[in-house]
Amino acid sequence: MAIWNRARECCEREERAQEQWEHLQITLNRAYKNVPFYRNRLQSRAIAPPRVESLTDLRRIPFTARHDFSDQYPYGLFAVPLRDIVRIHTAPGTSLNPTVSGYTRSDLRMWREIAATGLAACGVGADDIMQIILDPGLANWGRDYKDGAEELGASVIPLNALHLKKQLMVLRDYKISVLITTPTSAVELLELLYAINLNPNALALRVLILVGEPLAAEVRRQLEDELHVSCWCHYGLSEIPGPAVAFECEQHRGLHLQEDHFLAEILTDSGEAIENGEPGELILTTLTTRAFPLIRFRTGDRARIISEPCACGRTLKRIEWLPERADGMLVFRGVKLHDEQILAHVEHVLGTVPRSWRIRLEKEGARRELVLSLAMDERLFSDEIKELEQVVWRLESELLQELGIPVAVRLQERLE
Amino acid sequence: MLRIRNLSGYYGRIQALRGVSLSVRAGEIVALIGANGAGKSTLMKAVSGLLEAWDGIMEFEKVSLKSRKPPAIVDLGVSLVPEGRWIFAPMSVRDHLRLGAYSRRRRSDTAAIERDADAVMELFPILRERAAQAAGTLSGGEQQMLAIARALMARPKLLLLDEPSMGLAPLLVEKIFATLVQLRDQGLTLLLVEQNARAALRIADRGYVLETGRVVLQGTAAELLDDQEVKRAYLGRDYREFCEGRD
Repeated sequence: MAIWNRARECCEREERAQEQWEHLQITLNRAYKNVPFYRNRLQSRAIAPPRVESLTDLRRIPFTARHDFSDQYPYGLFAVPLRDIVRIHTAPGTSLNPTVSGYTRSDLRMWREIAATGLAACGVGADDIMQIILDPGLANWGRDYKDGAEELGASVIPLNALHLKKQLMVLRDYKISVLITTPTSAVELLELLYAINLNPNALALRVLILVGEPLAAEVRRQLEDELHVSCWCHYGLSEIPGPAVAFECEQHRGLHLQEDHFLAEILTDSGEAIENGEPGELILTTLTTRAFPLIRFRTGDRARIISEPCACGRTLKRIEWLPERADGMLVFRGVKLHDEQILAHVEHVLGTVPRSWRIRLEKEGARRELVLSLAMDERLFSDEIKELEQVVWRLESELLQELGIPVAVRLQERLE
Repeated sequence: MLRIRNLSGYYGRIQALRGVSLSVRAGEIVALIGANGAGKSTLMKAVSGLLEAWDGIMEFEKVSLKSRKPPAIVDLGVSLVPEGRWIFAPMSVRDHLRLGAYSRRRRSDTAAIERDADAVMELFPILRERAAQAAGTLSGGEQQMLAIARALMARPKLLLLDEPSMGLAPLLVEKIFATLVQLRDQGLTLLLVEQNARAALRIADRGYVLETGRVVLQGTAAELLDDQEVKRAYLGRDYREFCEGRD
């Protein structure tokens, strides 16, 4: 399988460590100089201006969390003046405020390179026709993947708002060879194939790149067996934002982290940073991002670092992406959600929060659905079915609009 | 080839470098750009052993430069072309070249040194014409060529150049920089400190931007030449504009 940039992906570990160190210091110097949020936090810990000369020094720097994005809405975390920004992206946040991030021209070049690196590792090349099916909540990934695929010379059908049935038509008629989607959508697609009696052999699909959610072994097996494709898992962050922060190589044993752009730490449940391959929360620091640097960002994802060299020849460290989360957030179709955030939207629509509610992922076979159940109370109740339907419809469209993913709303007499 | 980590350098009680990390790989031209007082020349002095008060890690081909005197560093293969050239006015051009080979005097025979002198005069033909002349009678550009030629006489692997374009007409700068590219193509590695950022980045492979003793940017030379921030700060526009509203 092709290695997109051998010099970068296979460089000596010692040389990479030096490069990471140089970039880390530059990132901290710039964040301190240009972002009041980071400056204040460093000053409050008496580490300003930042002198980070060892990993121990790095660990004194406070973490950045998702709620900081809402607090700094919209431009508070930008590290360059707005006139250097060439793209502004909005992603669902963890509160009513969305997460706003920006890219400079050099950032866009960097993401192009990152996406191309991840795609090339899956064997995507100029002969491929690639389709991207992601929910609006991951629209930014769609753009980055498009850019990366174009860099490789592949033909791309960019992210669009087509209904799944139409997507399937494109998949078959356009002779798509590479599909990027979430595991949940891939399973839905598979079911739809069967529902309309379309034989997977009628497709030209050979590579399925699954993003946004950890890939369970049984789902991978099912998709590979029934669709006759090879599956590849990519890890990305919707916040930084960007896909393919870590990618699988042909060995399929963990995901190579793009270490020249990100520095990873693992944090145990007790809050200690560890380096011994134990599982914990993945903490990422951007090394090359100019407009929207993240310093010690708590991803909420759980992972384990695999330090042993990989047979593919890349020297990029690997991570094993573990299914459970460190922060109690739900991940649905790659979009991260917090209970409170959903409740805030409910309150926004209804003007009140029902006394009893529940949000959970319901599984039916391999299919997953995000269901918000609200217990009926006198404030919600109406004796007209039409009005109740109206409530459900309003809630569902608000949540789709704000979160960029479908949420099924159910009104129930009482919640068990 | 050259690896620097967390370098801090002091002039008396003044700290001129505050935790600088950078690296130069074999066969590269690396440009170090920055305003006056950013710490560029201090870094050059530290690498060449002229600045004693520094902390951090500096390695040349995996050999630590800690507490090495300048002659020992020249022996490792690092030569400096100092800022202001440091030409000795009454001394002849040829003697300057012999002086450059001073550290080789015990190891090499005189004939080898003379052969090298002829080779560097190939590189700068004007020096051959002026070989017997006192260096003080040379023009600024010729003196700069002589300073480079003298440094080459030590047969360095890494050549450090501190402001080689200073005080020279643009045409001469172009000529000297073209020679630097020629040297790189012959296998020499160069670390170049320049206030003339545009000229330096045009010939460099990579660059670092230094600001008040810290590195604030690095990238390939092409990226830096195209960078809005670098354009504003070092390629002709006012640096203050960059920080507007952010003090």
